[in-house]
Formats: sequence, structure tokens, C-alpha cells
Amino acid sequence: MKNKDELENTIEIEETAEFVLLRPKSPLTLSNSKVYDNSFDYKKLLKGKEKLVIDFSELENYDSYLVIYLNEIKAFCKINSIEFQTKGMDNRLQRFIETLTPKTADITKGKQPSYWYKYFKNIGDLVKIIFSDLYKLVEFVGDLFKNFFRMLFKPSLMRWVDFPEYLISAGVNAVPITVLIVFLIGVISGYQGAVQLAQFGADKFLANLIGISITRELSPLMVAIIVAGRSGAAFAAEIGTMKVSEEIDALTTMGFDKMLFLVLPRVLAVAISMPILVLICDVAGIAGGMLAGLASLDITISSFLSQLNIALSYWDVFSGILKSVVFGLLISTIGCFRGFQVEGGAESVGRYTTASVVTGIFFVILVDALFVFVLSALGI
Amino acid sequence: MEKEKIIEVKNLKVQYGDRVILENVNFDIYKGEIFVIVGGSGCGKSSLLRQIIGLEVPVEGEIDFEGKDFIAAKKNQKREFLKRFGVLFQSNGLFASMTIGENIALVLEKSSDLNEARIDKIIEMKLSSVGLNGFEDFLPSEISGGMKKRAALARAMALDPEILFFDEPSSGLDPVTSAALDDLIKQINDGLDTTMVIVSHDLASVLSISDRIIMLDKSVRGILAIGTPEELKNSDDERVYNFFNRISEKE
Repeated sequence: MKNKDELENTIEIEETAEFVLLRPKSPLTLSNSKVYDNSFDYKKLLKGKEKLVIDFSELENYDSYLVIYLNEIKAFCKINSIEFQTKGMDNRLQRFIETLTPKTADITKGKQPSYWYKYFKNIGDLVKIIFSDLYKLVEFVGDLFKNFFRMLFKPSLMRWVDFPEYLISAGVNAVPITVLIVFLIGVISGYQGAVQLAQFGADKFLANLIGISITRELSPLMVAIIVAGRSGAAFAAEIGTMKVSEEIDALTTMGFDKMLFLVLPRVLAVAISMPILVLICDVAGIAGGMLAGLASLDITISSFLSQLNIALSYWDVFSGILKSVVFGLLISTIGCFRGFQVEGGAESVGRYTTASVVTGIFFVILVDALFVFVLSALGI
Repeated sequence: MEKEKIIEVKNLKVQYGDRVILENVNFDIYKGEIFVIVGGSGCGKSSLLRQIIGLEVPVEGEIDFEGKDFIAAKKNQKREFLKRFGVLFQSNGLFASMTIGENIALVLEKSSDLNEARIDKIIEMKLSSVGLNGFEDFLPSEISGGMKKRAALARAMALDPEILFFDEPSSGLDPVTSAALDDLIKQINDGLDTTMVIVSHDLASVLSISDRIIMLDKSVRGILAIGTPEELKNSDDERVYNFFNRISEKE
């Protein structure tokens, strides 16, 4: 017993060699639970006893805590073969306990799986999700192609009303941020390149470095990453929200094809805006690189441009643009696909929006690596 | 024996912009009763509930909880008051990213100093009292609409509130599930003596569970009638009589 005064205010105890009577006085409530724990230990008290009686006649305040406390003591008595009795319960208290006592008090829960079982199961589940997502993505792309060809023969099938809006949001509105970023990338690689080239006195080759790296790689890649973050995420969130609010179901029951109505206008808008964005960003990136060169090397604008003219082939620019069309198709298709995967509520929208960006960027980098591999194998 | 008041609403005025929804609203809610707020759409039922539970502040008037002004109360005092309230929202308000058990544990962890084992016991107890034994580890998205309502009720009951507020408890539920929820409300009211304040437009349910009903109306921007179900069904006021009997005829 930790504190005599505290104990007296909390509970009255009558004790003989075999028998214990407890008369709780302090409120048996959730907010008062510590008082009982701190003032006395029923396990110690009941050691070697044969019978316990709890008298509730002095107790005025109680809540759910009474039920769990009572159940704990009861369980302890059962294990230790102590006879358990209550008295002084009014009607109200009896009804209260009856209402809150779990109906199937001893629900035997199934054996918990081991840590390693769960560990390997999680890995297995993840692999299963990746493959099933891939399968569904291929199915989705197939459906998209089928509808694209249907649309080619009968353009009125697609919902063109939304098309200009997507073109503006995915293309026009993306110009400032993509131009700024690729310009800065040009400045950064211009400065870094200038330092290295100056060591060999190869200042004029900065135009080669900047021209080729920006047009073939950096511009398409950076634009793709920004568009994945802007439009890919937006498509996933828009379609996901539509799915949550049953708009997609409404469209389907009204006889609209989701591909022609929702997906194709978005995919085409991004596929068309990407090459235009990349072309604008090519200019911005090269300008950034040139600016860095002018500031740090002994070159002029005209010498830079004439070297660029020699170094850069039409194919360099075109290959970047070709790639950007593929990137655009990938990003927008994945964005829409993730949107359709949304199930349940708002939380799921957030999850799949994130997934759309991650998957979009992953596929962009993967396909870019394939491009590099194929183009170098072909020697172009 | 005079009934003990738990909530007193005095001269309440609810206004959004220039639009006055309710004015001069006065009524009392007694301890242990099932008190139902009814009325046509847009009459201010849900607004009234939001004022009582402190989600909105009235333009004028006072809401007393056990004689103390709830609106004027300081933040800490308000928090203590709120611990004694449980609210079941129209769309449940269950946190989608947490399991049912975690939803209930959240309240208990914040407002009591119980250890994990005891919190688990309380969760089991509360889920059992709403008939959801063993559903601790389910996510809200994995259970049906009626079960979600019951899980939300278990969460609302986590801290043994003295008053439970329900906003349209039967919305989105089929008649059988809705009747089962009514039984549960009655059972909790009987067993735990919890005061229940229910906003509803489901007349079948209102008439079967309520001890007293308050009817709000747009035309008077306030209370059109207050009384027991029997009194309102036999009201002299034509609007009240029609409201309650039209539905009864259909039953």
C-alpha cells in the first residue's frame, strides 16, 4: 500500500485470513484510473485468499473503466480459484455493466503470424501488385490504342470540347516553369562544362556540349519530369476524384466510353504539347549555356552560334522531339491509369496521385535508357 | 420529480451573412432523454446541432451545459466539456487511413492515461456494445455503411460521453439497418443513461425512439412545436399535424 490517506479515500478494505471485502469509493472512471493503480495492488491483497466480495454501495461515479477493472479482477480470481461475488449494485449499475460487457467475452483470436512470415508475405504481395499493375497497364494501353484507331476513322467519337482546355493547362501553362528550369539547367551545365573545357583550351566546343546535351537529353527529360509532376498528377487526381464521387459510373451508365471521353483528349493534349514545349526549352537551354559560356570563357555570341551550327544536326533536335512525344504518351496514360485505380475515399486519391508521378518518371527514365541503347546500337 | 436539465438553449440566433436561419430559439434538454430535432430541409436542424456542439458560434444567445455557458467558456474548459460529448456525424467522420480500432484508440490515448492493454479492452468492449466484435483491424473502407455508422458510434462512445449527438443517423441506410441502429440507440440510452440528441428527417425512426421532439420551421425561423411524439401527432397546429401524420399514413 503506497499511501494510507490516498488508499482510505479510494477504497475500503475488510480483510480476514481467507476473505476480502472491497468497497470502492473514489470514482471508477477513465480519468481517475491511475488513482486505483497507484493506491493499492489487488493481486498482492488477494494472495492466498479464498473469497472476494466487491461492494458497490458507496460508489457514485463510474464509466467504462469500472467494467474493465471488474473484468480484470474477475479474471485474476478465476485463474487463482478465488470465489468472486459482488453486492450493492443498483439497477442502473447492473444495466450499465450488462450493456458494456463484451457479448462474446473470450473471442479467441487466430494465432498471430510470425515476423518472417509477414516479411516475406509483404514482399510477395508487393511483387504481385507490381505484376498485376503491369498487366492492367498493358490492358489499359491496348484499350487506349483501340479507341484511338476508332477515333481516327470517326473523329466525332472523341470529346473535343475539353481538348483545347487540356492543351492550355498541360502545354501553354507549363511554358514558363519548363523554360525557366531548362534555362537554369543550361546555365549550370554551361558553367560546369566551361571549367573542364578551359583546361584543354577547347573553349569553342562548349557549343557542342551544350547543344547536344540539351537537345538530345536534358530538355526532353526535364520537360517530361515537370509535366509528370504537373499534368500526370493532375490527371490522376481529377479522374480519381471523379471515381470517388461515382462520376465515372454515371458516365458508363449513360453510355459514354471513358477512354474516348476522359483519357484520349488528355493523352493527345499532352502528346501534342510535349514536343512544342521541348522545342521552346531547347532554345532556352542553349541560351542558358551560351550565357554561362560568355561569362566564364573567352568566346563571343557569333563564335558560339557558328560552332553550334556545325555541331548540331537536325537529327539531334528531332530525336529529342521524338522522345518527348513518347514521354508525353507515357506520362498522360499512366496519370489516367492511376486515376482509374482509385478506390474508396480521399486518401486513395492522394496515394494514386503520388503513384502516378513516381511511375511516370520511372517509365520516362526507363524508356530514355532504351532510346539511348537503341540509337547508339544503330549508330545515330 | 423534476427532471434535471443538461443543456439549456437561450435566445439563440443563427445567421449566415444576411440570412437569418434561426432566432429566438429557447429549449431545454433533460438528462437521460432521447431528444430529436426535426423539420423540413433548410430549416436549420444541422446548424442548430453544430452550434450546440461548438463547431459554430451563434450570433446571439447562450448555450448552457449543466448550467455553465458553453459558448463563453475558455478553450481549456471547452475541451473538458467536449470530452463529455460524443458526436456521430452524417458521413461518419471515421479516419479512412486508420483501422476501426485505431479510430477508437486515438480518442482514448489523447484523453485518458490508460495503458495499451486496457485501451484494447475498452475498444473490444465498445465494439461489442455496438455489435462489431472482432472488427478492430478492419479499415472503414472494408465494412458496410451500417457497420461504419456503428463503428463511428463506438468511437463517439469511447470516453463514455454524457450526451451523444447524432446528425441524420439513418441517412444512407436501408430501413432494416436503420431500425437496427434505432434499437442500438435505445439500448445504449437504457443501459448507460446517455442523453441522446438526434437530428433526423426519418419520421418512422423519430416516432419510434424519441422521448421528446422539437420541430423547427423555416416560416417562423425557429421552433414550431415541442413535445412528446404523441402530442405532436395530435397537434392543433395544422403544419405540425400534417408533418407528422402525412408520414404516419404512409407507414
